[in-house]
Amino acid sequence: MSTWKEELADQIPAEMGNLIDTFEAQIELRKQGKLDEKVFAEQRLRKGAYGQRYDNGQRHDGVRTRELSYPSGELVKGPDTLWDAPGMQRIKIPYGGLTAEQLEVLSELADEYADGILHITTRQDIQLHYVHIDDTPDLMRRLAAVDITTQEACGNSVRNITACTLAGVCHDEVFDVSPYADAMMRFLLDHDDVQDFGRKFKVAFSGCAGHACGLVKMHDLGLLAQTREIDGEIKRGFTVFVGGGLGTVPQQAKVLAEFATEEQLLPIAQAVSRVFARLGEKKNRNRARIKFLVSKLGIDEFRREVEEELKTVPHDERHTAYLDRLGDFTYKPAKAGMALNGTPLPDGFSDWYRTNVYHQAQSGYSTITLNTPLGDFTAMQGFQLAEIARRYVGDNIRLSVEQNIVLRWVADADLPAIYREVREIGLGDAGAGTIVDITACPGTDTCKLGIASSRGLTAELRTRLIERINLLPDAVRELKIKVSGCFNSCGQHHVADIGFFGNSRRSGNHKMPHFQVVLGGQWQENAGSYGLAVGAVPAKHIPEVLEALTNRYVAERTEDENFQTWVKNLGRKEIKAMLQPYMKLPSFEEKPEYFSDWGDSRVYTIDDIGVGECAGEVVSLFSLEIARAESAHFEALLALDDGNYPMVDQQAYKAMVLAARALVRTKYLDVGDDYGNIVNEFRSRFYDTELVYDRFAKGKFARYLFKRHDQPPAQVGEDYAHQLIDETQLFIENIHSAEQRINGVIVS
Amino acid sequence: MTIVPNRLGVKFNLKREPALAAADIVPIFQRWIQEHTVDGMLIDVIDYKHVPEGPGVILIADEGDYAFDFSDGQIGLHYIRKRNLPGDMAGALILAFRLALGAALCLESEAPGDIDFDFSHAKISFLDRQNYRNEPARFAAAQDELSAILADIYGGDVALERAYDDPRFSFALRVSAQTEGVDGQKLLARLSARAVSVQ
Ligand code: HEM
Ligand code: SF4
Repeated sequence: MSTWKEELADQIPAEMGNLIDTFEAQIELRKQGKLDEKVFAEQRLRKGAYGQRYDNGQRHDGVRTRELSYPSGELVKGPDTLWDAPGMQRIKIPYGGLTAEQLEVLSELADEYADGILHITTRQDIQLHYVHIDDTPDLMRRLAAVDITTQEACGNSVRNITACTLAGVCHDEVFDVSPYADAMMRFLLDHDDVQDFGRKFKVAFSGCAGHACGLVKMHDLGLLAQTREIDGEIKRGFTVFVGGGLGTVPQQAKVLAEFATEEQLLPIAQAVSRVFARLGEKKNRNRARIKFLVSKLGIDEFRREVEEELKTVPHDERHTAYLDRLGDFTYKPAKAGMALNGTPLPDGFSDWYRTNVYHQAQSGYSTITLNTPLGDFTAMQGFQLAEIARRYVGDNIRLSVEQNIVLRWVADADLPAIYREVREIGLGDAGAGTIVDITACPGTDTCKLGIASSRGLTAELRTRLIERINLLPDAVRELKIKVSGCFNSCGQHHVADIGFFGNSRRSGNHKMPHFQVVLGGQWQENAGSYGLAVGAVPAKHIPEVLEALTNRYVAERTEDENFQTWVKNLGRKEIKAMLQPYMKLPSFEEKPEYFSDWGDSRVYTIDDIGVGECAGEVVSLFSLEIARAESAHFEALLALDDGNYPMVDQQAYKAMVLAARALVRTKYLDVGDDYGNIVNEFRSRFYDTELVYDRFAKGKFARYLFKRHDQPPAQVGEDYAHQLIDETQLFIENIHSAEQRINGVIVS
Repeated sequence: MTIVPNRLGVKFNLKREPALAAADIVPIFQRWIQEHTVDGMLIDVIDYKHVPEGPGVILIADEGDYAFDFSDGQIGLHYIRKRNLPGDMAGALILAFRLALGAALCLESEAPGDIDFDFSHAKISFLDRQNYRNEPARFAAAQDELSAILADIYGGDVALERAYDDPRFSFALRVSAQTEGVDGQKLLARLSARAVSVQ
């Protein structure tokens, strides 16, 4: 019986394969208690493998809190996170772009390792839920075989890079940002300079200033396409924004550079990363996003730091190499563009056409949006859609931040036919981008931090609104609703016309689920402004609140008032007064149903809220890197068991180099990956200076590395393999104690 | 010997659409957790009824999930065994059948007359593309052994066919007992007895 590892060996790029093997070894080390739980948690999150609600082994079943006795007992995959507890796997989909084949593999994985559902997130990722940690290495291998990675999908690192779903087909864009997003993703992925962040780092690209799609102003690093005439030549470049972000304290990004040329794009991203790693807060995670650093320093000082840093960024040909390949980034439609003419139109087509079809800049082609309710679709729909995509659009599939699927390059003449087919598989609902198309974070369904059921509320509002969609005035139909299960704003409630986020209030002896109402956020102009919190309302009252708000808006708005200006003009006080009647809390005896959340029959409690894994605790860069060395050592041990001695030599040598590198990087971040360089730097910085010397053995352990490095064995036998493994173990121990000893005197 | 897949599903369909709505299943499953009505380390209930022809409402457990499922446009009870499968195919199938059947009968008792399963037919899913590609050859290789096990389960001949032709879909089979009107309780009693003898 072969394994996925063997079966896919030829299809997985070596670097990706290594990262996954390392992770698999770390799983084994953790099971044996040889890897610290915090370090493992950080590594796991960096691979996109999150915890899920109830993984601390407790759940309130509506009557009492019950112990969930997972068979793995005390074994944990992070602090308070039990091994066997189902988890969530986040999968990075850069700028949401998918091929038909990738969609099929994702569907297979949902089928085999999750609950049959693929979930689209608010940052163009795919998430699978209820995944067992033991299944993740194979899951990752199957993804890697089709060029998808989960590396740094979570954790304190560069998250998925997002971009407008219309990039490349949009009428308003300055140019297509997709290849730039792609280049930056590849450049920053697992880059040395993004390993030592105090918090996550989100990047977004946008093709124009006026529309919402890219949302660059709410990102840690936002890139807005621009062109400039330089020396009589039109040059492409970007306005660079830095320090935006949602979360509890939303912040609009500041302009770091009005115009950076395409040649400067990657160096600037790297320099910003280095400044963030060097100066960003590490201890207090609540103030660790780059927005806090930008506020603390002020944008001018921050800019100066970046300019200084740029001078130290080592030359890297990848900074500009991608520019030569920009021309390769083309779209292959499945069919020639052709106008829609005379074909009989299926029922429901006109409504769908009005809201779900966008005429591309390329004549004869359209982009269509497939509504996925709450961002969910089944594995079966995934397979069927991949097949439809192949016939009509080829590999031109994207996921949107509004949790929908988008097919680009549909020949206009095919619109009725493709509508019929997507409707057949349950993806033909009209109303994309309207009030029924509500965005929601996972909330209490699966998130450990969830306070109220964002998805339950969303499902309820959606059902009610769909029933009345044709009766709603246009002004209401166009509104956007976004729901988060708590203040962390993963559902992006700050940038909706009407946003809600979960909280709770007490009535008598019981807690009642509530939603805070946030009004007037702006999606346009790249999330140009954030909404105003106007009061918390019992969850069960939200549908009435929505109705009251929209009715009054329609009745009172003047011709040129949009929702934002209407809210502003009405004022917080007046709005609060409007909500007041809905804020009254009935007693448990009067209305017990108010004490259960939407879609949940249990009596509400906040006892289930756990310690969230935003991104894992900050573990020192050294701990992370030494953990990689240890897993290489572990792989060497496995190879020894298999009698594969050349592999023992390779892995043990690698383990020693990685351990040396971990120490070197505490003083010299830019040491790079070259083994020779690493050994030289290690020798001059730590061996020649005797810093690494053991009290008794002196430089003996360090010399194990030099010996292996300077004299690779001509032949590898069993004895040699055993000895090398022991030496490697001693060397790693030596590095550990040296680091502890030296740490006090290392200043940076 | 046929390899036991990583995950094994058994689904029984309802004979007709019930008056009971999917939304009504959420409180039922939540009560099942409170009262430990069905087998397993029961964890949580997740609601996907908004997804067309999806897994509906799922009662998540450590070893296997119970879903009030809408896949293939048919409402039914789908049990998917995820972990701790017996090492032999007969044991694995008996286990999955027994738990699917047990849960289906519990559901019938929640709405007697309204929830009414057809136990003469079942869909069996082998969620493991490493060992079970959905190809005719794979079916041919496993057919005899699976037929024998299923005949043993049903206590009479069965007909087997692939549920899907598309090679990308999971390897799944539709099994039909040749005797119509299989009684769920009796079948469960048979399987419970078998389960003991298997272990
Ligand atoms: C303190 C912890 C957390 C904070 C501060 C936080 C904050 C955020 C913010 C601000 C966004 C989104 C918007 C954006 O930048 O575009 C986001 C995205 C998201 N968060 Fe969280 N989050 C936290 C923990 C969690 C947890 C525990 C979960 C559930 C397991 C979760 C699930 C999500 C999802 C599904 C997204 C959309 C995702 C994506 O990156 O693909 N978050 N988070
Ligand atoms: S907003 Fe809160 S409830 Fe929703 S996913 Fe984020 S942390 Fe969880």
